[in-house]
Amino acid sequence: MQRLILAVVLIAASVTALAEVRVVATVPNMGMLARTIGADAVDVTVLAPPDRDAHYLEARPSMMAALRRADLLVAVGAELEVGWLPAAQRGAHNPEIRVGRQGYFEGAAHVDLIDVGGPADRALGDVHPAGNPHFYFDPNRLATVGFALADRLSDLAPEHADTFQANAEAFAERAQAQVQRWQEQVAGGSGVVLYHKDANYLAGVLDVPVLAYIEPLPGIPPTARHLRELVQSLQGQDGTILATDFQPAQGAEFLAAQLGWSQQRLASQVAIDATADDYFALIGRWVEAMLP
Amino acid sequence: MKKCALAALALAVAATGAMASEPTLEELMRKIEALEQRDQERQARIDRLEAELSARADREVEEQPEAAAPRRAERMAPRGPQRDPLDPAPARLRAHQFGGDGAVTSGTAFNPAISVILDATYANFTDDLDEPPGFDFGHGHGGHSHGNGGHGHGVEEGFNLREAELTFTGSVDPYFDMMVMASISESDIELEEAYITTSSLPSGLQIKAGKFLSDVGYINKQHIHDWLFVDQPWMRELMFGDEGLNEVGVQLSWLAPLPTYTRFGFEVLEGTSPGVAAFEGDGRHEMVTILPGDNNQPIRNRWRADKNLNDKDGPRLFTGFVKWAPDLGFDHAMQLGAFGGYSRVWQNETGHSSGRLETWDGDSRFVGADLVYKYGRGGLMGHGNFVFQAEYVHRELDVEYRSRQFTDFSTLELTGPASDPDRRDQTWRQDAFYAQGVYGFAPRWNAGLRVDGVGLTNRAYDDGRDSMGRRGMRDDLGASWRYSLQTTFAPTEFSRLRAQLSYLDFDDGHDGWQFLLQYNMSLGVHGAHAF
Repeated sequence: MQRLILAVVLIAASVTALAEVRVVATVPNMGMLARTIGADAVDVTVLAPPDRDAHYLEARPSMMAALRRADLLVAVGAELEVGWLPAAQRGAHNPEIRVGRQGYFEGAAHVDLIDVGGPADRALGDVHPAGNPHFYFDPNRLATVGFALADRLSDLAPEHADTFQANAEAFAERAQAQVQRWQEQVAGGSGVVLYHKDANYLAGVLDVPVLAYIEPLPGIPPTARHLRELVQSLQGQDGTILATDFQPAQGAEFLAAQLGWSQQRLASQVAIDATADDYFALIGRWVEAMLP
Repeated sequence: MKKCALAALALAVAATGAMASEPTLEELMRKIEALEQRDQERQARIDRLEAELSARADREVEEQPEAAAPRRAERMAPRGPQRDPLDPAPARLRAHQFGGDGAVTSGTAFNPAISVILDATYANFTDDLDEPPGFDFGHGHGGHSHGNGGHGHGVEEGFNLREAELTFTGSVDPYFDMMVMASISESDIELEEAYITTSSLPSGLQIKAGKFLSDVGYINKQHIHDWLFVDQPWMRELMFGDEGLNEVGVQLSWLAPLPTYTRFGFEVLEGTSPGVAAFEGDGRHEMVTILPGDNNQPIRNRWRADKNLNDKDGPRLFTGFVKWAPDLGFDHAMQLGAFGGYSRVWQNETGHSSGRLETWDGDSRFVGADLVYKYGRGGLMGHGNFVFQAEYVHRELDVEYRSRQFTDFSTLELTGPASDPDRRDQTWRQDAFYAQGVYGFAPRWNAGLRVDGVGLTNRAYDDGRDSMGRRGMRDDLGASWRYSLQTTFAPTEFSRLRAQLSYLDFDDGHDGWQFLLQYNMSLGVHGAHAF
């Protein structure tokens, strides 16, 4: 028994010694941001895989185990993770990462979201009155979140404050330069049809019109009738159809075939252990797909 | 008429008011000019001040290039308001203002979160079967079966509005969370759960207090809308009670700081659940007889005597559990659990119109294990998801059986000869298990199979000698089985429609089919589900 206790204590101690700030990010994009800002001073664990819709995950015990030992939880917020994160937080027995505490960080709280203040009525689908949570499609907004995250990390590891700030600035400069380049590239783009209100952040920044959404209502898969109506309304126009890799292909393929447009399904989240390079490459693929 | 007059009066007043304040066009123009002039003056003042400010800032940077140093020092020092000594992590932060309003969007929009869940069924049975043999004993008042759970969360034949479940959850303060769940049925309101949990205890500790579903096993803690079948497994219903192991008490649990999820818990509970902690308490046994007297007039007699049952105050039930869940990556999740409990009291009684009172008075203990495995590949609306769960419970009731008879209006005496009265020490050993699998065979659709088995061990032993001189095994009943098949259509995560077909095969030779339909809908802020 004593040996067991000793083993437990040693494991706990070794885990504590690994990194200075144990960050748990809900989705890979936030994990990438935490790793970019925190560099060597953070140890990042990601709860959701990149090829999943973060709206529809289930709280797993391994999430609770990760959160139990976390110093900082980095979430997207705006109810994106509302279906599972609160349960994982409750099950984690860790007061530090509860909402409102220093160990809870939510990106959505630090940027101006779009689509804010819609009616809170589920007859309208899986709506988010707090605003559209997919701000990570806009590198500039993500960079803004990066500054806030640098500040929060500085609270937890003040000795690295300058590094965090410098990293946030570097990321922001890169985001700004990239977005400017992309804006010039896609100028005059004909427009996109998206599956869900997610990449409309990017389209908005690049001034590419969003012609339609394949979902009739957020979270509700398209019906045949809705698709036919889309075909009718878009007939004769020019554009491209984009969806994320976890969104169903059928609707997009049907539309593409009927309208004679191109359609692509792209990743919306970077890999679990990705860097800022991977993130800009990922957004770059979306931009490329929007090119006229 | 009066209303009309009033309206007219109001209109008149409004009209005079408007006329009195109506300015001429000239007056308006003059006002606008004045305003424009004031605006220009103010703008000039702002420009001047801004220029001054930036000049001063430039000067400061030139004069003290190390001005950033004290700012860094400030960062190192603890900042913000005084730390709350009760508070392990600072609850209040300085504002991080970077666009957005800085307000966290999670968990603050509705406080408390309110949800309503409506559950209704239609059922058709080929036979009205009682509880499986051996399990009518520990269920409600001994001997009197309750049919197919025509109460609590059971399903009755025909249309049946099982309940509207009203839930309030929220944070009380930085130290406590609260949850209150009331189940409203057609005839009454029942407090299903009402408890507080601590939210600020350090070292992975958490205390829960109030009326709550015990954390033993896996399905015990789940409510109707979490069940993957229309009805609950026999294991929960017959070994614990219609409401599961739902008790008033306190729970302490600890989540170990390990890379794999490992949680230990201990519960101290009042002890009233019929399956493992049935409690009657001491009281009087009463009986009224009406017999013909002289001239055949009815004469009413009241028979009253103490039952002489153990009257222990709570807490009477103590349980413990451990749950362990290895990390199997993003697609798989598994949790293993083991649990057990001891109740200081287990009591039951049956009164007979002959004036005989049978009582069972003793204690009980149970042990069990549970397994849950979930697979999800992230398919559209549950497509391709698979859940397997299985649980087993074994219970032992150690009781003193007494059969007593009214010998006069206020005396209950043991039956049997004085040298060998009808009083025996009895031990019941019984178990139950279920295993079920549910697979999402298409977006929005899932189907599942469940096997219920109770009484694989189903024996009663007499330790003492009874009035007939028998000893040893008293009853050796067999197992009863139930096989259920369900299909669910869930348009969204908030609504589901379900059909279920069950075949029941009882040890006593009875069998029957049950057909069930259910709809379950949730409204409002329904919290995220625990694993």
